[in-house]
Amino acid sequence: MLGIEETADDEEVRAAYLTAVRRSPPDRDPEGFRRVREAYEAVRDEERRLALRLFGPAPLDRLDALLDTIPDERRHVGPEPWLDLLRGDRP
Amino acid sequence: MSKRDNRAAAHHRAAPPVTSPQESRARVESLIASGKTREALDLAKQWFKETRSAEAEALVIAAYEARIGAMLAQGLYADATALAALVGDRFPAHRQRLVPLVTQSRAIAAGDVRTLVAELAAAAPPRRQEIEAILMRELRDPRLLAEADTLAADHPLRRAARAVCDLFAAVTSGRLPEGALAALDQVPRHSPLAPWKLLIRALDAYYRRADGAALANLDAIPPRAAPARLVPVLRHLIGEPGALDQRLPAVGALIKAVSGGRPMLRPHLLRLVRALDGKDPGTAVATVERILPLLELEPAPVKRIFTATVLRHWHRLNLNPKPLIEALRRDRRDLDWQRETQRLIALTLERSGAWDEALIFWDGYFTAVTRAGTLSATGRAASRVLLHMAELVPADREEVLDTFDVDSEQELEALIRTGELPECVDRGRLLARAREADPDPRVFRALVAHWESRDPRRAEAEAEAWRQAHPRDLEPLLHLVRASERRGAHRKALDLLDEAEAINRVHPEVRQSRIRLLLASAERRIREGRFALALADLDRLEKDAAATSGDTWAYLGAVRSVATRRNGDGPGAVRLHEELASRFGNPTTLALILSSVAESFGLDPPAAPEPASPAETVQALARSCDLFRTLDRPLAVPPELLARVERDLGGASPADLHSLCVGGLYMGRPALTYAASGEGLATDGPLLHRFLLARGRALSAAASRRDRDRAGRCLRAAREMAGRARDMDAVREASSVIDALGRSPESAPWAPPAPVADLEPLTTDEIARLISAERAHRQAPTFGAEKAPRKRRRQPRRPQRDLFDDFLAFVEKNL
Repeated sequence: MLGIEETADDEEVRAAYLTAVRRSPPDRDPEGFRRVREAYEAVRDEERRLALRLFGPAPLDRLDALLDTIPDERRHVGPEPWLDLLRGDRP
Repeated sequence: MSKRDNRAAAHHRAAPPVTSPQESRARVESLIASGKTREALDLAKQWFKETRSAEAEALVIAAYEARIGAMLAQGLYADATALAALVGDRFPAHRQRLVPLVTQSRAIAAGDVRTLVAELAAAAPPRRQEIEAILMRELRDPRLLAEADTLAADHPLRRAARAVCDLFAAVTSGRLPEGALAALDQVPRHSPLAPWKLLIRALDAYYRRADGAALANLDAIPPRAAPARLVPVLRHLIGEPGALDQRLPAVGALIKAVSGGRPMLRPHLLRLVRALDGKDPGTAVATVERILPLLELEPAPVKRIFTATVLRHWHRLNLNPKPLIEALRRDRRDLDWQRETQRLIALTLERSGAWDEALIFWDGYFTAVTRAGTLSATGRAASRVLLHMAELVPADREEVLDTFDVDSEQELEALIRTGELPECVDRGRLLARAREADPDPRVFRALVAHWESRDPRRAEAEAEAWRQAHPRDLEPLLHLVRASERRGAHRKALDLLDEAEAINRVHPEVRQSRIRLLLASAERRIREGRFALALADLDRLEKDAAATSGDTWAYLGAVRSVATRRNGDGPGAVRLHEELASRFGNPTTLALILSSVAESFGLDPPAAPEPASPAETVQALARSCDLFRTLDRPLAVPPELLARVERDLGGASPADLHSLCVGGLYMGRPALTYAASGEGLATDGPLLHRFLLARGRALSAAASRRDRDRAGRCLRAAREMAGRARDMDAVREASSVIDALGRSPESAPWAPPAPVADLEPLTTDEIARLISAERAHRQAPTFGAEKAPRKRRRQPRRPQRDLFDDFLAFVEKNL
């Protein structure tokens, strides 16, 4: 949800949170904001991150809800990854 | 007849009769010009066979060249190279003439189209069409064409290639501006760049989430065109089913970069859900094996969530875990992941209530990670794991004994010593290990709580160790104060309290402790007959501002009167009573204080005052509750007075109702709490969540399961409301009672876990409905559930080690 590494420190978590909030502001995307907030609360300090690392994650009630943990993004990645596939896929 | 013979016969039939060398040459050249290279070659070979002339030889070589070119145009590079070699062997004099064709064939096969592009500038049909066909199939990067100096800058193909390059870069880098695709109009339908045009349109539609248009453009790309290799990837990204070679690193990298792999997971997840719904472990395991590699593309937590969820569902459905664990092992022969799986299994088991088996897996995990060095054996993380393991052991000793089918802790200890049970099932040992790993206040708190009910001396020793390790912590000092007080060591308790005051004088317990200690000292001295010392303690107490505030002074007066009476000064005691009565406005409250204090010393209570009004009685009991609870002294209330108060609560103030709620719990009288909270719930004030909390706490002492379920709902609502009101003490209190309810002996360890929905916060509407329902519940339930006698299990339960041993053996073998 926040797109941070597991080794992220407080500052990186905070920066990722602010970026995510800009993407899902509470007035325009309340549901997205709620999820961002929840994710942030789970990792906001070292103690919580440690607890998540040792005693998480909580299982999902529905398996297909796993898809909700993966953002439905269509990222612009530039031409190279596409061309890499064409160039690398030689018969 | 074979196909080959058929084809040859057809060619021979198609070949017109040869009349003259000129006619033959013209015929062959005409067939080559029209692209019919196979027929041209057959005719040239036939003429050469018949004449063996130099002219015929030159013509057959030309026909071979045309045929090889046509094969290259069709992408038959290996065949074309082989044919060129064959011709070179048969006609050594012309070998050099075929070298460029072979070189070109190899270059194209390697993706290099520069020689073709160079040839294109001057090529005439049909060679031009052949080159364009090759470019359509082999041009894997339009920049090669856009930057080809061998073509003139204004060559239409080069111009079109530049437009394609620019738009391809733009469409994959950001949203295209309106009308940007118009630049593709210069790419004709028959151009070798036409598939790129379709690809760019498909990409634009994909990023605009116009998936229908994207698919339509993808469908129009010729399957042999170079961009067609991206079609399966884009279809997957859109979420369309189709074959995709996910083993290619570039495919995975592209999908991860663009979408995070979500479209690839969906169909597999749905198949897994169906397999689990149908209790089909075979299909489920196969699907898990398909899903796990896809999750490698995702952030690590996604894979963990998936594994935890599958394990949880597996366990819920009571399926045999071995095939699933095998699949998880096969997924990645990575020891870190094996250990991680072990942790996830432990979590699954503990969530299902199988604390003893969970502990075995936790212990295995801890041993493996500390041995591998991924977790230090000392430090906060190690201590947290051990503390977590300790918390899994039920606080109810009977439950632990039941689980292992032993009759006493000594017997349990003997089983641990002989190795029949692992050490990790012993909470005390786990906490000691946690303390060694990190002497953290949390661990000390747990240690003190653990030993307090088993061995108070040991608890005191742990509190002392805590104080030594954290000299600025108030908590161990307060524990030591209470422990000393319990032992009657008031002097030591007061010394410790001095230290506590030096740390935090305004802490509520610190403030109350001095009053309580001096009071306890005075009371003990009265009982010991040392009245002068008792009165001296009371004198010291009365100099403390906190001790003379509220109704405390009346309590001190009551104790002084008892001391005076026990000292044989009856008139003095009467005078003190009169003085108290004149200062204290509410005779019913004073009577309750005096009678409770007298009763605590085994004396007869003074004469009861005139019966008061219901409102006065309620207020008197509320004040008394607050006073005795604050001083931690027993409040003795005549049963008839309690019954009267429980009946006559109408019109009581919310503050008094709340005092009665808390007082009822303090006195062990849940019926009073139930009645007062019911009256409080009828009011709509800031204490509403507190009344709901009190209602929940009262109901948690009810005899029936139904009422305890009600308790759980009230407590969850109270916690939610308290959170909104920022009343964190109430939040903590509600959470603690909810936890205690969850650990009640009635909840069977293997009972299905509560649905997740039940654990979600209640909505405002749900809370409002609950309050209405509780307001309507006037009839008090039956309180005082009797604990069922411990039932012996038919079969002793021992932690199931086979699965664990199997797992551990695997990990150890690979270490």
